[in-house]
Amino acid sequence: MYSSAAEGANDYQVDKTTKFSFDHSLVPPCQAACPLHMEIREYVDLVAQGRIMEALQVIRDGNPFPSICAYVCTHPCEHACRRSQVDKSIAVRALKRFAVEFGGDRRIRAEADTIHNDKVAIVGSGPAGMACAYYLRRLGYPVTIFEAHSEVGGMLRVGIPQYRLPREVLDTEVQRLTQMGVEIRTNTRVVSLDLLSDIGYKAIFITIGAHQSLRMGMEGEDSPGVIDGATFLREVNLGLKPSLGKKVAVVGGGNVAVDAARTALRLGSYKVSILYRRSRAEMPADPAEIEQALEEGVEIHFLVAPVKLKRRNGKVSITCTKMELGEPDANGRRKPVPIKGSEFNRQVDVLITAIGQAPQSPSDFRLRIGRGSTIQVDPVTLTTNRAGIFAGGDAVTGPATVTEALASGRLAAYRIDDYLQHRYPRIARETREGLAGDLLPATVEMIRKIGRLEPPILPPEARIEDFKPVELVYDWSTAINEARRCLRCGIGAEIMTQDKCATCLNCIRVCPYQVPHLDINGAVQIPVEQCLACGICAAECPAKAIVFRKPYDRRQIVEELHHILKSAAELKSKPFIVGFCCQYGLFGTGALANLWREAKAGIWIVPVLCVARVEAEHMLYPFEMGAEGVFIAGCGGQCARENTALWTKQRIEKTKKTLAQVGLEPERIRSFMLGAANEDIGKELDDFVGQMSGLYLTSTIRQEVQS
Amino acid sequence: MIVAEQKPLEEIRLMIAPYQRVLVLGCGTCMTVCDAGGEREVSFLHSALRLMQTKSGNVAHIFSEYILKRQCDPEFIDLLVEKVSDVDVVLSLGCGIGVQAIAERFPDMPVLPGVNTSFMGMAKEWGVWDERCAACGDCRLEDTAGICPITRCTKGILNGPCAGTKNGKCEASKDMECAWILIYKRLERLHQLEKMRRYYPPRNFRAVPRPRRLVKKVSIGAGESDG
Repeated sequence: MYSSAAEGANDYQVDKTTKFSFDHSLVPPCQAACPLHMEIREYVDLVAQGRIMEALQVIRDGNPFPSICAYVCTHPCEHACRRSQVDKSIAVRALKRFAVEFGGDRRIRAEADTIHNDKVAIVGSGPAGMACAYYLRRLGYPVTIFEAHSEVGGMLRVGIPQYRLPREVLDTEVQRLTQMGVEIRTNTRVVSLDLLSDIGYKAIFITIGAHQSLRMGMEGEDSPGVIDGATFLREVNLGLKPSLGKKVAVVGGGNVAVDAARTALRLGSYKVSILYRRSRAEMPADPAEIEQALEEGVEIHFLVAPVKLKRRNGKVSITCTKMELGEPDANGRRKPVPIKGSEFNRQVDVLITAIGQAPQSPSDFRLRIGRGSTIQVDPVTLTTNRAGIFAGGDAVTGPATVTEALASGRLAAYRIDDYLQHRYPRIARETREGLAGDLLPATVEMIRKIGRLEPPILPPEARIEDFKPVELVYDWSTAINEARRCLRCGIGAEIMTQDKCATCLNCIRVCPYQVPHLDINGAVQIPVEQCLACGICAAECPAKAIVFRKPYDRRQIVEELHHILKSAAELKSKPFIVGFCCQYGLFGTGALANLWREAKAGIWIVPVLCVARVEAEHMLYPFEMGAEGVFIAGCGGQCARENTALWTKQRIEKTKKTLAQVGLEPERIRSFMLGAANEDIGKELDDFVGQMSGLYLTSTIRQEVQS
Repeated sequence: MIVAEQKPLEEIRLMIAPYQRVLVLGCGTCMTVCDAGGEREVSFLHSALRLMQTKSGNVAHIFSEYILKRQCDPEFIDLLVEKVSDVDVVLSLGCGIGVQAIAERFPDMPVLPGVNTSFMGMAKEWGVWDERCAACGDCRLEDTAGICPITRCTKGILNGPCAGTKNGKCEASKDMECAWILIYKRLERLHQLEKMRRYYPPRNFRAVPRPRRLVKKVSIGAGESDG
């Protein structure tokens, strides 16, 4: 396995390993749900290991503006997360925010060279436009963004309140675009696309968003004291401070309605209520946002709809009717039906209507318009009815999420590239299979329940004072403990070939989650949708027939060990002690962090992804290279997986027995299982090192190895 | 299945002492299943042997490793021809059958047993095996309710229980079930207790002379094969 003689001798083994070294992992549900298709499982895993910079790298590979998504993403990944079958989903968005802030995203500079001559114009500077500009710049095109407002960002700037997305974050991303060489023209409303073509733009991307509020179509809607949500938020976000009076009512149940209500609170209105015609279950706004609004003192009246407005004595008098839920409509939502004779009156200073928005594209653009005033495009290529003109974002989909807009901008960039290079669209397709299917009840029962750790948020009283961000960022240990909850869907164990499997049934017997089973033909199957990748079976397989679906996981320990032993043997320093340390919760458990920090010269640490993956052979090998001692440090009772400490102990005992037979002291191998008590791990390690140095014979071994 | 355990390292060290190039040969069937000589154990023993010789300071051996799917079939052993020409001795982690099969195939090659073949048995749970069959060639399980007194009774008596049974346990060990009590209880459940009344004469060991050979094929005389 390690020596060159062995590699040469064991063709059987080497052959099979190389043949199966490609990626067999499945696309996890979180990634499949993400409009940007981000590698969520991978970055959550890196956060769990405390490798924040690498996590940020993975995030940046899949997302042009991670810092923006870290604040405002509607996290469809969390809704798809299979952990919710056990307890609660992983807090993916909050973890991303942690990675972005602690990984130093702000300091990353983006640079791009111009390699093409064809200029591209982007109409609208919202998330779709910004993403498109970002990717087109990276592909080497000169890009100009035209923005009608005085500031860049589209809905990010004029729609989303500052307490949800601080403007510094947006400014940083805009600056980065400028750094990349994107030309941004604000206060420039595009009135004619032909003009843009005339001045040399070879392709145009229309992302004008959906800024036009829908009208309720009722009496008195145009009277003073009534304002639509989009306009209200735009005015506030562009620096105006409209005076609202004391009592404000908001009509609608979406995110804009909640944003408007919370913004009104922050502007000094002390009685803010939301009128929504359905019940809370149907409310489309983000549940966390609704919760926070309620905490801040926003009242929400469900099953209430205004029917008539009247301006009276400087106040708005609303006639409302109560509603009840009827049959589900075509979308599956239950239709509200007015209850006859239930009308009542309310008086407010200002009424904000936020019942939805639509795009409004100038007719001079001569684009084909579809349902709800959206621009009609080919969904794969984003081409419109006019050559060289592409459209995306809310203007095409109607009001949607930031992430969807980013995805559409990215797609547009690639399709515009194809168009300008005169080639057939190169559609990227996922080659891996998606992970489908729920966890079995038996598996769920065995999974250790660990509650979701939420990032801290400001207390409601402090929030409504001004527009500072409501949600704070995780601290180091909370973030890591939260990330450790990930079930690592789709990267579990698999049987390399049934031919190599001796059907010894060890895997079935050792799996804490009862995942492997015999199929009708008597062959062992490890269903990928159940496996949690703890690694116990792989280390216990006597035929070495079980491997991980990700090649990196397969090789990691052997490669690290080999590398470390080589450098240690070259250095000839004393002492020479090798430790296998769990990477998960490395900094989270505190004790393990100390172990690393206090690791002194001569202590060589092999990072492992859970000690359950360390085989007896790995423990023995360092001795052969001249190590004086070996220790294994795992999370013990704090491990997110079951039985890992138990199996480590089994293997340690086996190695100890062999050491004794060889004539080495069994005390040379030691396990530190942390988490149970607040032991002083640094001191224990010191003791261990001292003990090892006192043992005889090691120098002889070293000389033999060197000779 | 055949169950075995690896020999102590010291014994292996003494055995391989006269030879320089040692091939550690695993077996992919029974020895893999009973954790005695599969790919993982070969690798572990290989490592332990290298450690042992570096520790003793006498670097006399060059080890290599290989795993056969089964050491008891000549076709599999043929895969070894080239490997064997490069080594001085084969340390077989196959059962006794494997060791002999290798020895028979390579008349000039010394073959050493790396495991003690223990018994034919079954897995009780992970890491625990129990003996169940003595391969006596004269199966009486029909009369004893599917419980073999030859292997499971310490004395191997055919008409039990003896006087050494106490509370269902054997006098030889408190942890060991008395096979004949088990047989009695099971016969009772099956409503076949009358079988306990029968007397079973001692087996005639002469009837099964060793080594045994099992011939399944029909011998066909010359010229008869084509009809």
